[in-house]
Amino acid sequence: MAGIERKETRRRLADRIREPEEVAVEVPAAAARARTRRDFLMFGAGALATAGGLWWLLPDDTKQRHLTAGLRDSLDSIQARLGATPESRETFLNRALTFDDDVAEALYSPTRTVRTYSRSQTTPLRNNYNGATPGPQYLPGWALQLSGLESGKSERFTIGDLLSRFPRREQVTRLCCVEGWSAVAWWGGFPFAEFLKAYPPAAQARWAKIESAVNLDGSGKPDRYYVSIDLATARHPQSLLATHFSGRPLGVDHGAPLRLVVPMKLGLKNIKAITSIAYTAEEPPDYWNERGYSRYDGL
Amino acid sequence: MSTPVRAAAAPVPGVKAPTVKRVIPKHHALVRLSHWLNVPILLALIASGLSIYWASPVFTHAPSAQTGSREYLADVGIWVARHIPLLVGKGNPNAWVYDRFGIGIFHLAQALRLHWLFAYLFMANGLLYAIGLAAGGGYKALLPRSSDPADALRMMRYYAGVIPAKILRRPWPHPPLRSKYNALQRGAYFSMPLLGLLAIASGWAMHKPAQLPWLERLFVSYDGARIVHFAVMFILAAFILPHVVLVIADGWDTFRSMITGWSERIGRGGTHGRD
Repeated sequence: MAGIERKETRRRLADRIREPEEVAVEVPAAAARARTRRDFLMFGAGALATAGGLWWLLPDDTKQRHLTAGLRDSLDSIQARLGATPESRETFLNRALTFDDDVAEALYSPTRTVRTYSRSQTTPLRNNYNGATPGPQYLPGWALQLSGLESGKSERFTIGDLLSRFPRREQVTRLCCVEGWSAVAWWGGFPFAEFLKAYPPAAQARWAKIESAVNLDGSGKPDRYYVSIDLATARHPQSLLATHFSGRPLGVDHGAPLRLVVPMKLGLKNIKAITSIAYTAEEPPDYWNERGYSRYDGL
Repeated sequence: MSTPVRAAAAPVPGVKAPTVKRVIPKHHALVRLSHWLNVPILLALIASGLSIYWASPVFTHAPSAQTGSREYLADVGIWVARHIPLLVGKGNPNAWVYDRFGIGIFHLAQALRLHWLFAYLFMANGLLYAIGLAAGGGYKALLPRSSDPADALRMMRYYAGVIPAKILRRPWPHPPLRSKYNALQRGAYFSMPLLGLLAIASGWAMHKPAQLPWLERLFVSYDGARIVHFAVMFILAAFILPHVVLVIADGWDTFRSMITGWSERIGRGGTHGRD
């Protein structure tokens, strides 16, 4: 019995999704002409508006490679008259970026942890210093400055202070770069959460401004690097203040003697050679955000 | 159609033939809208995607001593920039593909912003398309059926013979067709939305691997998602050319039907290949 019923259900479903015969319908010829004209006019207007919109969204130097100078000028001035300026483009695209951040924030769960790997699964990690690798002359004088604390005081640590105070934990996680490459790395360090517990931030603090004063630019000149990290991310169980890489103390290429490892965030938030941490109530500036990238960067 | 219509099978006395047009409804308004919106959206996704790809290419080889290139896509541009007469000596050959089809090299931040914007538009547009397919019943013409493999072979044989038959002035009838699409079209139009879904899934897998770990696992690894994502892009891009060529070959009625929604070709199931 059940078999017959199932067969019947299947037949009904097959009937329902069967492609119907095409049936011609009659429409008044004048109405068909009017509709065709209307649809083509709308299509043309839409195509024109869309092409204009795409042109507006292109970066300025990308535009330079297309069309002729005269054509570019007239297009740009027509657009500017309609309010589509480079400034409005930036506002609009940054809004798209923060929309994506809002979606990411909605997806975020503080209890979710990233996948961990075994030590044998590590892959070569690129030294992606944006510019020249600093050091090692900064190492002997290195110290970590800590401010924005509940106590109202500032603290100063040598790497010896930190290593003796906090027990080391090992963690093998993937570091994902905004450029698209990634690597599985074996880190050693102490949880940021432990550091926050030992030196609690001021009550109103929600952010950490983490900075490297020893960072260099492409030509080797000093170029401070700084990232904003929300304290929820800092307290995440897999957020480390790392001192070791592949079982050995960090080398200058990977941010000796102290770097941030936040596997919930893109590589660019994993700041190397930290020289200061300041807890703030307001969101601090972020180096790559000032250069057009998102400042959320959550994975 | 919003204009009052009646089935052609039941002619009403008193209506003169020239004032009435007989048409076959083809595409739901939302299907047409989302079809055309895909043009700028895919264009922008590919252009920004290429500039993202440039920052860390997926399909790579050992660096070439001659060009310094370490990836196949740049090699295509290097070859073109060296061998196509009008382009020789213009600009950086290693950047040729990215400057022509992408928004350019060293544009990662701008490319990411554009890519997120158009990725959300692409997903919203995919939803419009799905609603249109459901509302108009268009999905029924896209579903694969058991006769498809044999019909696909028949269509391939037909397409292969069209031009030789023209040259030899021999009749070359279109295989009989009793549905909206032939088996090859159905295969293409059924798999394109699936590829779109794959692009969206692999995109999310590499955008949020920490929050969507199950999705990352679906592609085996982070790099698995990247390979799938870029492979899907190349396949989608490769679909565009034959799609446009076939529509031009098929004629005005097919193009118009994607704008107005109806066809004037009556008494023949298919839209491709006049017989």
